[in-house]
Amino acid sequence: MRRSASLLLTLSLLVAAATGAVAQSKEPVKIGLSAAVSGGSAASGEAIKRGLEIAIGEINAKGGVLGGRPLQLVVRDDEGQPAKGVTIARELVEREKVAAVFGGLHTPVALAQVAVWHELKTPYMGAWAAGTNITRNGQSPNYVFRVSANDDDADKFLTRYATEVLRKGKPGLLLENTSWGQSNEAGLTKWLGEKGIRAVGIEKFNWGDPDMSPQLLRLKNAGADHVVLVANAPEGAQVVKSRAKIGWEIPMVSHWGISGGRFAELTGELSDGVAFLQTYSFFGKQNERGEQVLKALKEKYGVKGPEDVIAPVGTANAYDGLHLVALAIEQAGSTDGAKVRDALEGLKAEYKGLIKTYRRPFTAEQHDALTDADYIMVVWRAGKIVPLAAK
Amino acid sequence: MLVQLLVTGLALGSMYGLVALGYHITWATSRTMNFSQGHAVMVGAVIAWALVVALGWPLPIGLLATLLALAVFGALIERVAVRPFFRASSPAWLLSTIACGIIAENVAQLLFGKDARAFPSALTQRPILVGGAGFYPQELLIPVVGLGLMALVQLFYHRTRYGRQLKAVAWNAEAAGLMGINVPRAVMASYALSALLAGVAGVLLAPLLNVAPTMGTIIGLKAFAVAIIGGLTSAPGIVLAGLGYGLLEAVVAGYVSTGAREIVGFALVILVLMVRPWGLLGAPPARRV
Repeated sequence: MRRSASLLLTLSLLVAAATGAVAQSKEPVKIGLSAAVSGGSAASGEAIKRGLEIAIGEINAKGGVLGGRPLQLVVRDDEGQPAKGVTIARELVEREKVAAVFGGLHTPVALAQVAVWHELKTPYMGAWAAGTNITRNGQSPNYVFRVSANDDDADKFLTRYATEVLRKGKPGLLLENTSWGQSNEAGLTKWLGEKGIRAVGIEKFNWGDPDMSPQLLRLKNAGADHVVLVANAPEGAQVVKSRAKIGWEIPMVSHWGISGGRFAELTGELSDGVAFLQTYSFFGKQNERGEQVLKALKEKYGVKGPEDVIAPVGTANAYDGLHLVALAIEQAGSTDGAKVRDALEGLKAEYKGLIKTYRRPFTAEQHDALTDADYIMVVWRAGKIVPLAAK
Repeated sequence: MLVQLLVTGLALGSMYGLVALGYHITWATSRTMNFSQGHAVMVGAVIAWALVVALGWPLPIGLLATLLALAVFGALIERVAVRPFFRASSPAWLLSTIACGIIAENVAQLLFGKDARAFPSALTQRPILVGGAGFYPQELLIPVVGLGLMALVQLFYHRTRYGRQLKAVAWNAEAAGLMGINVPRAVMASYALSALLAGVAGVLLAPLLNVAPTMGTIIGLKAFAVAIIGGLTSAPGIVLAGLGYGLLEAVVAGYVSTGAREIVGFALVILVLMVRPWGLLGAPPARRV
């Protein structure tokens, strides 16, 4: 009896010592990423990649998943183009045999890919794109999950901020002319309606529009007392420049697309005071995970401090999302897409994450791990993202 | 509101005119044109960004070098993409100049990156507010430089010896050749000049629009529309059409909707083509009997 116990101890010690090496030699479990890692929103893709790499590094250091298989990241650039996104989705699943795929900033891409995940039975974890219908896609079983904002919740949050914190009642909406803009037009109209408010004007712009002063002028003439902006970095920059040009000093409340590119470089001091939502901020006191991730960002990517973290939500969402996917693979005991999907929906393990502690983050009805209760409001100041107030 | 829109429209319109003048210049001398004029705008902005922002050259030297590079770019396009087909009097120059533009865009993406980058200018730091309207000094500089350059080009054609030679080529290339004018060189010079004008537009627009490898496509297309509306054979027609097109865009965007802007603009092109196929101020082609 004693002999077998000591044998077991020796064996388990040996296994523990060897896992590092074993994790390298066993067949890796591949995780895909389809995101814009080039173009005007390239910073978002880079940030997501960092979050995934840090989490993968942590998991592999502890021996990987499924008894010693390391995780391996496969990155593809979808350039924010839906057609490219669909091709990449197929390539990642059929050729690279990934167990799950993470997504990038662009809602039109994520929406175009929804059908592919269901056809190929591969779980998708959104790390940025917030379009409401990405997760609420009417599919059952639903293969699309998300650790990020959801437009519907985001619009509720932005409306609450504008009406209760800023105490403004005449919103002018300025939205990009894409499916992401539409998603928010619906959400904002709905949540403003709950408060008995109608937008005084709804204006749209196309990607690459050089000048936004006509739209802003119309909102101004309609009597808007604040602007709700739904834009990515390049167009958001043109909006801010045009606003300065027409000399309209007005509070701007923005969805978070503007934090995904070179917004600060393109606008300079003009971006000061633009408030927008985030899921996480590396400023202020960090939890244990926060310290860990910041340390990894400093060591691996030469980040100097929280003000130096590019597109922070991408990193935070992807980091938590990857840990949840790894737990689901563990629980499923396989990389089979359908089994991992089921495991995600009924995740048993509690995960003390970066953004929050996740207890049963997904159910059959709820595929968004984060809701408006988890969001925070931040503001651009001197080119850096600074939290407005404690949550 | 109207003043605001007019300032914006005038700035963009004069740039359309400047780029469109490039179509006219090469069309007049050779009955061909560089369909990637828009890409020449982008090349100008990217080279200026590389020299002035990335390498930190002093602005005047950087700009001068940019313009020189653009002239070479134009000459190169003529030599590689136009002359071989021009001689064979084949319309293949149409596709080959477009190909050059696409190559230029992709080379820029490789060397410069796909990100839009800022081109800081002292003239776009602080807007000037007058009454209810505001504008960046750069937006006033653009039409001044644009119209000034267009006037200079006219002077060059009418007052200088070399300009007159180019005009002679435009009038009758065969006769000009017999009179001892080097026709191929004249065509090449017109291509260099046309790319140079597009480059000036790129440098002027960079601080307003930011610099990106894709920035030229729409400008090139609209400039072509302007050239057609004004009349390919008429420089004054093109200048007026450019200003008019820019103003129309701004007014439609301001009073109707930004969505209607392109619809109205390009519908106008079709309308002009139906009523006056040779453009508003262009000369109808001589009838061959």
